[in-house]
Amino acid sequence: MDDIEGTIVRNEPVIPGHFRVSIRLARPMGRVRPGQFVMLRIPSSEVFLRRPFSIYNYERGVLSLLYKVAGRGTAALANARAKVRVMVLGPLGNGFTVLAGHEAIVVAGGIGIAGVNLLWSKLRERKSLFWGCTDSAEAGLVDDLISCEPYVSTIDGSLGCKGNVVELLGEHISVLKRPAQVFACGPEPMLSSLRALLGDERIPCQVLVEERMACGLGICFGCVRKTLDEAEPYKRVCKEGPVFDLWQISP
Amino acid sequence: MADLSLSLFGKRLKNPVMNASGTLGYGSEIEPLWTVDTLGAYVSKGLSLLPHHGNPPPRLWEEPSALINSVGLQNVGVERFFKEKFPLFEERNTPVIINFFGFTEEDYVRCAESIGANRLILALEINLSCPNIKEGGICFGKEAQGVFRIVKKVKEATPLPIVAKLTPEVTDIVAIAAAAFEAGADGINVLNTFPAAAMDIENRVVALRGGLSGPFLKPMALRAIADISRRIPIPVIGTGGIMDHRDALSFLMAGAAAVQVGTATFVDPYAIPKIIKGMGAFLEARGIPRIDQIIGIARAQDSDI
Repeated sequence: MDDIEGTIVRNEPVIPGHFRVSIRLARPMGRVRPGQFVMLRIPSSEVFLRRPFSIYNYERGVLSLLYKVAGRGTAALANARAKVRVMVLGPLGNGFTVLAGHEAIVVAGGIGIAGVNLLWSKLRERKSLFWGCTDSAEAGLVDDLISCEPYVSTIDGSLGCKGNVVELLGEHISVLKRPAQVFACGPEPMLSSLRALLGDERIPCQVLVEERMACGLGICFGCVRKTLDEAEPYKRVCKEGPVFDLWQISP
Repeated sequence: MADLSLSLFGKRLKNPVMNASGTLGYGSEIEPLWTVDTLGAYVSKGLSLLPHHGNPPPRLWEEPSALINSVGLQNVGVERFFKEKFPLFEERNTPVIINFFGFTEEDYVRCAESIGANRLILALEINLSCPNIKEGGICFGKEAQGVFRIVKKVKEATPLPIVAKLTPEVTDIVAIAAAAFEAGADGINVLNTFPAAAMDIENRVVALRGGLSGPFLKPMALRAIADISRRIPIPVIGTGGIMDHRDALSFLMAGAAAVQVGTATFVDPYAIPKIIKGMGAFLEARGIPRIDQIIGIARAQDSDI
């Protein structure tokens, strides 16, 4: 892990409001595990702190991040052109742990796909992808990014099943092979629904969570998630996370 | 090479740069990037006698060139700190300032009593000003009498040097520093974060209340350092808004015996080593052999009336 200078190679919209930026690093990053993230210094005087981004992909010295414009930081990043220099701190945090011999079920909601893409591409186990979107436009995020036939749901029914992705998973889960393990990244209501769906069987489930960060290194204690550890309930998302065991975090 | 070393509270430090409390975790977290013996001294996260959980998230809010935090003093407590975290500083032979807090005067005293002398402990730093917890430091730090009382009690409870870390949210910070000095403080640290709040206009709620930090603090801290160091005959540690070596040198020239760097490390994790290097290069380029030659150098020409 280190702070490495990089140069933006490409920074283009994938679908409206969502961008993919590719950054060529001046030297290689340490070994990247799926689920890890970087702290990116945004090339704008309007953004004071770095911003955390899941590592969407990293190969041959090029880091790519898939992001949704959601605030001041991502809006400024979306304006950055090729050849702009940035600082990249990473790889940071704990990634996903794959249990051998388990059928892998990957569940992503919206831009949460950015957090599980690398895991998906590296999974050698039998695997299936459940991918929930608001509408068919958002589903365009992965058109050319993931080569598989995912189970797709959209809230408006414009593509795949109408409804949310956990309902879709619920329809199929009984026929998926056991033992199974779930990897998830998406909005908080999705994580709550997963808890309800998987609770009876207590299927192993790792979730990649999001929180505002200042340092990304574990030195500020600003990005915590409440867990069931009574002695020390607040765990740092950047340091003990960003991947947590769903059964160890507070409902 | 210019000599950056200095004496503080009877110990020799390799340079005048420390981290501000709570901005470098327990020290180990930064070690993948640089080792803690880079610092003149490590300042611990605010410790309490017993472990403290801190505040629920969200704890952070960004403002233009500033950060509001409401961590709420999450810490493992004195006992676990010395068992689990302190060995790193022994291994690195790095002086440590123990920052601590309490919710009552008795808490402060018991916490100070629980910290035994150790060759690496440079001082105890009393957090008189954390604005995050209702029963916490702000009550003590805002009034001279309260500061006097708590510093005196802590001083009686420990043989270690005491640094009083002041809040900027007071009408007369020199009077507060004077009260700390009269109560027996061995040093003053100015200043802590400024109490602040942020609004979420979409949801029409106050999104966060906490302490505001960042480069805007620097001119406020600089003035407080100059005013206090002119009048109070104990070392002043300058903290607030330092982003680079020029800021750090400014504090020293104003009269700070040492400086602490906080929020800058979040923006650039190498800020502290860069500041130390930059200070050395500044002195070198001007033919100044020792850092202590510039401490308080601007005081003579500065009128604070």
